[in-house]
Amino acid sequence: MIEIKNLTKKYGNITAVNDISFTVNKNEILGFLGPNGAGKSTTMNMIVGYLPITSGKILVDGKDITTNSNEVKKMIGYLPEIPPVYLDMKVIEYLNFVAGIKGVEKKQRERQVARALSRLKITDMKKRLIKNLSKGYRQRVGFAQALIGDPKILILDEPTVGLDPNQTLEVRNLINSLKKDHTIIFSSHILQEVSAVCDRIVIIDKGKIKAIDTTENLSKLNSEHITYVIKIGGNKARVKKALSVVEGVKSIEIDDVAAHEVYEYIINVESEEVRKDLLHAISKGDFELMEIKQHKLSLEEIFASITKEETEQTSEKSVELSK
Amino acid sequence: MFSLYKKELQSYFYSPLAYIISAIFLLIFSLSFITWITNLTSLSLRFSFSAIFYSQFFYFIFLIPALTMKTFAEERRAGTEVLLMSTPLNVFKIVMGKFLAASTVYLLIMVLTFVYPIIALLYGNVVWSSLICGYIGFFVWGVACIAIGILMSSFTENQIIAAILGEAAMIFLLFIDSFNEIDMIKRTPVLSTIFSAISPKARFADFASGIFSLSDLIFYISFIAVILCFTMISIEKRRWSRG
Repeated sequence: MIEIKNLTKKYGNITAVNDISFTVNKNEILGFLGPNGAGKSTTMNMIVGYLPITSGKILVDGKDITTNSNEVKKMIGYLPEIPPVYLDMKVIEYLNFVAGIKGVEKKQRERQVARALSRLKITDMKKRLIKNLSKGYRQRVGFAQALIGDPKILILDEPTVGLDPNQTLEVRNLINSLKKDHTIIFSSHILQEVSAVCDRIVIIDKGKIKAIDTTENLSKLNSEHITYVIKIGGNKARVKKALSVVEGVKSIEIDDVAAHEVYEYIINVESEEVRKDLLHAISKGDFELMEIKQHKLSLEEIFASITKEETEQTSEKSVELSK
Repeated sequence: MFSLYKKELQSYFYSPLAYIISAIFLLIFSLSFITWITNLTSLSLRFSFSAIFYSQFFYFIFLIPALTMKTFAEERRAGTEVLLMSTPLNVFKIVMGKFLAASTVYLLIMVLTFVYPIIALLYGNVVWSSLICGYIGFFVWGVACIAIGILMSSFTENQIIAAILGEAAMIFLLFIDSFNEIDMIKRTPVLSTIFSAISPKARFADFASGIFSLSDLIFYISFIAVILCFTMISIEKRRWSRG
């Protein structure tokens, strides 16, 4: 449905988006993940036709955004980071206005506006001045605007930022319900949200794509990093020695605990089978087992490690340059 | 484009700004009116609206940048520009929609001043031809000022700066033929010809004195067209260098 090929955006010497490529399939929810300043909003603004492209191609349903911009714009509903609402208008006036500028036929306008209002649960607010709405409601009005015109594609830039937990859940449910009729790109830096809703995730950092995969596959990275956190009472050196000889142990870190001769051992192992051998080693050495926990690498940590690698590399480079 | 026009017009009437400007406008107009009428007893000149028009425009054009300052500045600042640009609306329609809305508001303010000719009609004679001619010039020159105000608004995100740039432009254009008095300019005949050709004041003077000249009208219309083109270019340029 959407094809991004070698997309680049430069502002003078600064490259905001650097040669990225990915596709979005029909009726898919794609999560666009990255830290602040990664290039998510820039990419979205380019897809929507607001920002001109430096180089590369964006094809929406086979049509090029630069040559067929009006056709493409008709297919897309966009919710930017700051909801593009006019504070001096009432909600319903605003949505009618949006219906007008998007070219919705007069007969359809009322119906579409009513539907957008009810989907976002803001029908009660329709006569209110947008200036008087809270941030969460303004966000909803912005989302309602994106739905007008019944676009095939929805591009949502951080749609849940600033919403309270209830509203966030409602928006998430809404996105899930929209899936069957729409193709959705949804950006966030809250991983839990992205993994809960999206089929596939694109991770972007500093203008480059770091990973594209299904949510499942990325979570599977968990199994490569199994860590046990075991609180053991006993002499530190002896415990460490006993544990390190166990087959399959990759690394051991020791943390202090506020108790006499008790330490927390953070043990990185190859597989879950090693746990049995660890417990065996502990009882053989007559150590006191106080607590055992398994620590699965969360999506946050996977994300952090993926985006951190580049930082370390670049900081090494800058050290070299300064020499 | 009609939706945009309607929305812009509505937003002028929702905010107090348009009403305040109309009030000040009418205040100046009526002060002028009163001064002229009371002076009639001491002067033996016939009272004419053209004299008022001629002295009026000096003041009212300074009100116009206040009317147009928010046109584009606010869009960029509030983040709504992206909404307009992500729809099938093109830059031409956006500029025209806003321009027509501002011109409509100006037209309405002008219509409010009709009360004075009506008063004059009740107590005496009104030379209709020169009055209508004067009003045409009044309108066309005002609309040209609106175009300039919109252009200035498209340069910046800050409404105040847009207003200040607009005022500066008004002053510049107002005195452009006075630049011809500067010795340096006098010595370069090319410059002085250009300056006198583009001086809106000189052309307005014709309208004010009741002369309806087609070339003056065409001057204003082409002036407006050029300024609106510049506005469209300015918007596009902003989009390209947004950073």
